[in-house]
Amino acid sequence: MDILNFNNIAFITIALWIIGSLFILGDQKIKNGRLIGNLFTITGTLVIIVFVIILWIEIDRPPMRTIGETRLWYAVFLPIVGILTFFKWKYKWFLFYSLGLAILFLIINILKPENFDKVLMPALQSPWFVPHVIVYMLSYALLGVSSVVSAWGLYLIKFKTFKPKLLNKADNLVYMGFSLLTLGLLFGALWAKEAWGHYWTWDPKETWALLTWLSYLLYIHFRFRHKHKTVTALWILALAFIVLLICWIGINYLAVSGNSVHTYTS
Amino acid sequence: MSNNKKIIWQYPWGYSESFIIAITLMILGFAINYISKSTVSTIQWPLNLFFGIAIIILLLLVYFLFKKKPFLKWLSGTPAAISAICLYTFLVLLMGFIPQGSPKASGFIHEIGLYDIVSSHAFLFAQIYFLVVLGMVTLKRSFPLRGKNIAFFINHFGLWLTLFAASIGAGDLQRVTLTTNKTNAVYFGINHKGEAIHDLGIAIQLKEFNIEEYPPKAFIIDDKSGTILNEKLFYLENGNSGEIMNWVIKVDDFFEYGICMGDKFHPIYDIGAAPAAYVIAINKKTKKVKEGWISCGSFRFQGNFLKLSDGMILVMADPEPKRYSSKVKIYTTSGNVFETTIEVNKPVTVDGWKIYQSDYNHDMGKWSDISILELVKDPWIPVVYFGIFMLIVGALYMFWIGNKK
Ligand code: HEM
Repeated sequence: MDILNFNNIAFITIALWIIGSLFILGDQKIKNGRLIGNLFTITGTLVIIVFVIILWIEIDRPPMRTIGETRLWYAVFLPIVGILTFFKWKYKWFLFYSLGLAILFLIINILKPENFDKVLMPALQSPWFVPHVIVYMLSYALLGVSSVVSAWGLYLIKFKTFKPKLLNKADNLVYMGFSLLTLGLLFGALWAKEAWGHYWTWDPKETWALLTWLSYLLYIHFRFRHKHKTVTALWILALAFIVLLICWIGINYLAVSGNSVHTYTS
Repeated sequence: MSNNKKIIWQYPWGYSESFIIAITLMILGFAINYISKSTVSTIQWPLNLFFGIAIIILLLLVYFLFKKKPFLKWLSGTPAAISAICLYTFLVLLMGFIPQGSPKASGFIHEIGLYDIVSSHAFLFAQIYFLVVLGMVTLKRSFPLRGKNIAFFINHFGLWLTLFAASIGAGDLQRVTLTTNKTNAVYFGINHKGEAIHDLGIAIQLKEFNIEEYPPKAFIIDDKSGTILNEKLFYLENGNSGEIMNWVIKVDDFFEYGICMGDKFHPIYDIGAAPAAYVIAINKKTKKVKEGWISCGSFRFQGNFLKLSDGMILVMADPEPKRYSSKVKIYTTSGNVFETTIEVNKPVTVDGWKIYQSDYNHDMGKWSDISILELVKDPWIPVVYFGIFMLIVGALYMFWIGNKK
């Protein structure tokens, strides 16, 4: 990784994002502030995308295996989701949240440099690998934002300033995130059939992925019938995200994950 | 539900009734496991087909005969649906915390079936409840089918079909491991219970087993504890150089297949030949130079390491497989004889069996004289895939539309 110095790239990206955010933050006072800000955040995102592409070519396999590599992808997807939602709803805090989280992921990667290990076990070398992982990461990014809405809502309730309309923002994110979750689960099943002979084996990661899916399914159906029970809906959404976090990170610490095909940490 | 003052069990039923029913089903399931000391066994062809058709007819009949009845209104409504999803989620949650299939399981938790939830009666009931509610929900919105309900139908019927076909087809799923060798064709395999299965209808002989490997990694290890000291990775490839733990290391020579004769490795291709590298290591601080051959060795020959300093040795790790495959000759009872190659992620289909590359003899590595294949027969897969296909279409639609209404 000598030609591609990750730290430099990460610092450039972070700087571009921060400058962009500052312009957007002060867009009332600065002429064309929003436009300039958008240009900076988009350029920052493009820089990190190009880095990922070069890295992919360099290590000769999709960089999606180690935790550090997944963090890199979050640093790609979060800004994309943030920028798109910002364009759609004009909520600045959405953008700042996703950029902030992406910066956090990049900083973790700077502090914990990763060896880009070329080795990819044979079962992972499949055309399903890339769509399976990308769909999941995009889904987690969307559902992550929806969980911020729920946390924000629960916080506002404390101060009696909560407006039920806030939840409508979350609904759209959940619908999009949930449909990608469904795709991730199904792609995983189709891949498992090709690689391991069966589409569903109740492997711990599969079990938790199903739980995550069921939790959001519950949210969707509860919301559909009970539009006005917003507090319960907020709690379901918050709990669903906890299940998602266990599935994503916590699984490695659970007693059940003895020989899951999804734990690559050796 | 706004019917707070409603007496329980008086129609229309709401969440209280739904959850009482769900929890009763679960407890009943636990009790049956506890009393009968048995697990749920799957049913097989053609019984499962008749059973499946009977269930579908029953669901249709019940729906069309009683669709105006309050009981059916409840069964196809949201409270029942949520209780069914919750019950299912709860059992899967237990599965997520309790290690499943532990062989030494005993005690109460074992007796009510919690170490093997998938084959417990509670799970069976949860699944039946789930499928009945989902079936009724689907029927309610599908007759008459209006344009705006198509997405609803694709999602709900897709899920129903997937789960239904997967459940009733489970008994027809056959998975058999077959260990091939080069001396003779093997015509039997071992199933997951350890029983030998003879009526496979095929015999397989190994012609050639191939592993393509990644270049091996070098590690600096503590020669007493054997722990790896370096974090940075270094690959042993001809001409490669890099720095690990203050040592600048250069690979001066590398053979994928080497055999040690005297104090030198030679590029010889013979059974048990192992990768070998001649490395030159220079300590950045002391400028000390160490050089020599290192090799990971094989089942036949010992490995070689390079002592760098007190307590530190440079070793070669066993190379990791990039891909492995078996060239096999297959004989079927239908009279076919042919050769083919089976690779991980690239199974081969023969007479209703899908044959997967599964494993090999790891001690012998690329010299493995056996190749372990897995034969899978799953006749219900087209139905399951049809359901999965519907779900994919439904998910794409849902992603596109969001919850705009
Ligand atoms: C692939 C999984 C599923 C998806 C994507 C899904 C999606 C949806 C959506 C989007 C709605 C709102 C319908 C509308 O907008 O008109 C809905 C309604 C509903 N769903 Fe699901 N659902 C799924 C699974 C289930 C399951 C497993 C059940 C029951 C066990 C269920 C029961 C219901 C019920 C009862 C309604 C309300 C229907 C009505 O009152 O007309 N769904 N579902």
